[in-house]
Amino acid sequence: MSLVPHPPEPPKKPIKAPAPHEELFRQEPGGERDKASFVRAVQNFGQYNVRKRGHVDFIYLALRKMREYGVERDLTVYNLLLDIFPKEVFRPRSVIQRIFLHYPRQQECGIAVLEQMENHGVMPNKETEFLLIQIFGRKSYPMLKYLRMRLWLTRFKNINPFPVPRDLPQDPVDLAKLGLRHIEPDLSARITVYQMPLSDDLTGTEDPIQPHIVGIQSPDQQAALAHHNPARPVFVEGPFSLWLRSKCVYYHILRADLLPPEERKVEKIPEEWNLYYPMQLDLDYGRSGWDDYEFDIDEVEEGPIFAMCMAGAHDQATLAKWIQGLQETNPALAQIPVIFRLAGSTGELLTSSGLEEPPRPLCEVQEEDDDHRKQQQQGRS
Amino acid sequence: MSGCALFLRRAATAARACPALVALSASRRPLSTSRPSRAFAKELFLGKIEKKRVFPFPEVSQDELNEINQFVGPVEKFFNEEVDSQKIDREGKIPDDTLEKLKSLGLFGMQVPEEYGGLGLSNTMYARLGEIISLDGSITVTLAAHQAIGLKGIILVGTEEQKANYLPRLASGEHMAAFCLTEPASGSDAASIQTRATLSEDKKHYILNGSKVWITNGGLANIFTVFAKTEVVDSDGSVKDKMTAFIVERDFGGVTNGKPEDKLGIRGSNTCEVHFENTKVPVENVLGEVGGGFKVAMNILNSGRFSMGSAVAGMLKKLIELTADYACTRKQFNKRLSEFGLIQEKFALMAQKAYVMESMAYLTAGMLDQPELPDCSVEAAMVKVFSSESAWQCVSEALQILGGSGYMKDYPYERMLRDARILLIFEGTNEILRMFIALTGLQHAGRILTERIHELKRGNVTTIMETVGRRIRDSLGRTMDLGLTGNLGVVHPSLGESANKLEENVYYFGRTVENLLLRFGKTIVEEQLVLKRVANVLINLYGMVAVLSRASRSIRIGLRNHDHEILLANMFCTEAYVQNLFSLSQLDKDAPENLDEQIKKVSREILEQRTYICAHPLERTS
Repeated sequence: MSLVPHPPEPPKKPIKAPAPHEELFRQEPGGERDKASFVRAVQNFGQYNVRKRGHVDFIYLALRKMREYGVERDLTVYNLLLDIFPKEVFRPRSVIQRIFLHYPRQQECGIAVLEQMENHGVMPNKETEFLLIQIFGRKSYPMLKYLRMRLWLTRFKNINPFPVPRDLPQDPVDLAKLGLRHIEPDLSARITVYQMPLSDDLTGTEDPIQPHIVGIQSPDQQAALAHHNPARPVFVEGPFSLWLRSKCVYYHILRADLLPPEERKVEKIPEEWNLYYPMQLDLDYGRSGWDDYEFDIDEVEEGPIFAMCMAGAHDQATLAKWIQGLQETNPALAQIPVIFRLAGSTGELLTSSGLEEPPRPLCEVQEEDDDHRKQQQQGRS
Repeated sequence: MSGCALFLRRAATAARACPALVALSASRRPLSTSRPSRAFAKELFLGKIEKKRVFPFPEVSQDELNEINQFVGPVEKFFNEEVDSQKIDREGKIPDDTLEKLKSLGLFGMQVPEEYGGLGLSNTMYARLGEIISLDGSITVTLAAHQAIGLKGIILVGTEEQKANYLPRLASGEHMAAFCLTEPASGSDAASIQTRATLSEDKKHYILNGSKVWITNGGLANIFTVFAKTEVVDSDGSVKDKMTAFIVERDFGGVTNGKPEDKLGIRGSNTCEVHFENTKVPVENVLGEVGGGFKVAMNILNSGRFSMGSAVAGMLKKLIELTADYACTRKQFNKRLSEFGLIQEKFALMAQKAYVMESMAYLTAGMLDQPELPDCSVEAAMVKVFSSESAWQCVSEALQILGGSGYMKDYPYERMLRDARILLIFEGTNEILRMFIALTGLQHAGRILTERIHELKRGNVTTIMETVGRRIRDSLGRTMDLGLTGNLGVVHPSLGESANKLEENVYYFGRTVENLLLRFGKTIVEEQLVLKRVANVLINLYGMVAVLSRASRSIRIGLRNHDHEILLANMFCTEAYVQNLFSLSQLDKDAPENLDEQIKKVSREILEQRTYICAHPLERTS
């Protein structure tokens, strides 16, 4: 054993100084991070430190730690944090103190607490108001921010025209239905569950044998699919991601390419259509410039989308089951060749079309009906 | 000369200054009979908007709202699942188990105070529950006849013993109540009833004799609020016949009812004749005081009217849902029905009327719920007239959207149309209520303006100068600022234009009322066509006020879809403004738009011959 001390190891990562009072938030072995332990940590601060030295730093640290403990939406915890400030000390007592921002760091800290409340959508209550008046006085910046929160948070509660509920459903089928309804809010579109998730008892819910398939299609889309030319293929593309608050769900679409201009047929209004009034006046002139409200937009037309689905697995077998399910309501689909264009990886940041970088595209061009029928029989058996 | 000009200018400036100041100086002069009535609608007749009464829109606390939502849930479930309106309509009676379930839900005593076993709901909560009950017309009418008029008398003017005796059983639904006023010869003319109640020799009973007709719940009720003529000795010794209200139980004997009538709509409710033959009514059962029946009847009828607004609004909302489903699915000429402009117009009309109705009903309910118990009879009447006419129009349009299927009995539309027709007739026919609205307001305005008219007639120079100055100013500019918009405005700036239109209408209306009183004076009671226009203008004004108040509150609080509310509010205000201008211009003297003289002449010639008098178009002279 030599008494020569070891040379210091080269630093692998930048040395982080522990924040002051961090030891209060150290997790006990076997203890879990929840509201009770957070409240205990906060109360310990007050206990060990009668004069509450460094309360500003402690409050900043607590605000950072709130997310780990899962209490960021709890109003009582915020009130507890505001309680840490000593009362009556920071209130301005003279005109000079009122002119200059009295105790600026503490006021900023108070504003930081309220700002985190605002970011998480927590509405302050009368207790918060009382605490703020006691701590900072009625004419302080935190009090101003509190008043603004009282006014604007209520006004902004219903401002989202497409609100997502805060408690998302845990069941994947319900989540899929919610997501599909978000994509297609038109009430005439019908959501059908083609397959419910069934899992083997041995493997548990982690790896269901039969993933869920939930699809959506509106009557317009059904009609368009019925009129689709069987010579042209339809593509199953995906998966595309949809974020609902903090959950990401993936969906696939069934689409076709645009018909080239020569093959597009213009709907001619038949001569004898309406018994009562003429559907078309045979005048030479169209809409005059006075009443023309259309803009000259450079429209990029996309091909028609016939249906969408959300499934548990993103492989071809599941999607083939979806196509089979679609065939019950769209018999024309049996004659149309279906091409699967699936992106291989399930990374969350796919490009919108999914076609630019398909690493290992699983392309399988289905020949005419026979192959498809074989697939059907295989799927059924 | 210059002095005269100076005088004129001073008078003109005095008139141009806030017109409220002029009215204030008028009210400081000693008035003979008016008491300070702070009702909102009556002040509109003077061209003033009492902002404190209607802005902000009356709110209920979150606790009350939670409480009422707890009631709403089970009732809605019951009406959606267990009430079969088609069966009730076909058979002509409400099944007993439905009635039992209604009793167990507590719907038979909604406004009965809690100490007598009822729910003790405030007017706002009662209106809210009325929205759901209105899904079925017969049940609504049965419940309304039982509590809004049947037992209201006991609650309003009953003594403690009467309340303790009757209210518990009525609130639990054990006994039903009915309101007996109409007779074969007196429908709207209530004071001409023939039923008599004579005091017996031992002065302990009244003997009741007479028959009443078209009494809802007549066959099922056990407790009747009967109005009869009694002999009353006046203070100066003369004996007169005055109306008295009695609480009559079926057990008193001599009460018989005829068979249930076969009606066009609300076929589930039981309407029949009730005959009283020597029924002995104890003296303790007189409601109010002997001879005071007229006031009792008026109070009872005035207090139940406003709930019709919210009931009809609830029905219209349901109707919009059903019809929209149909319009968005059915396709004709390769287009959905919802893409055709005429259909969209119908939906916009239904949404607009429902919005206005709701706002008016809840504004009135909020005003009635205030602790000062203000007199809101005019507002309630306005709510009733507007909602009954809109109901008829909107249900008719909804049926039209469905086309042929709307006409079939398989769909509920024809039943709702038939049920909605009675709304224009009962609880005071719309014509009578228009007279009531116009005359009550004119009387109030007349009292305040009496002094000014006297002075004008006497030739007081200052008043004449003021009036002339005001008229010149009126003919120059049309905008009037009554304090709704601007820095201290109570209306949100997005509704500023509509508020300006309202202010203009209100001011112009006040001036027109003054002119009418000057022209007609007491005899305006006979000019029904003039009164009808006054009432229409007032209903539109009240609607505009209610809608602006509610929309401002929605924006201020940030309720969902408040931009849609702004649209509806502005639409209604614009339409009402134009209608008001037309009506008010018709009220001017010798206005070319005023066709009253021609109308009267045509009807006189027709009614003289009691037939259509024009010669047939195919007739020849040679």
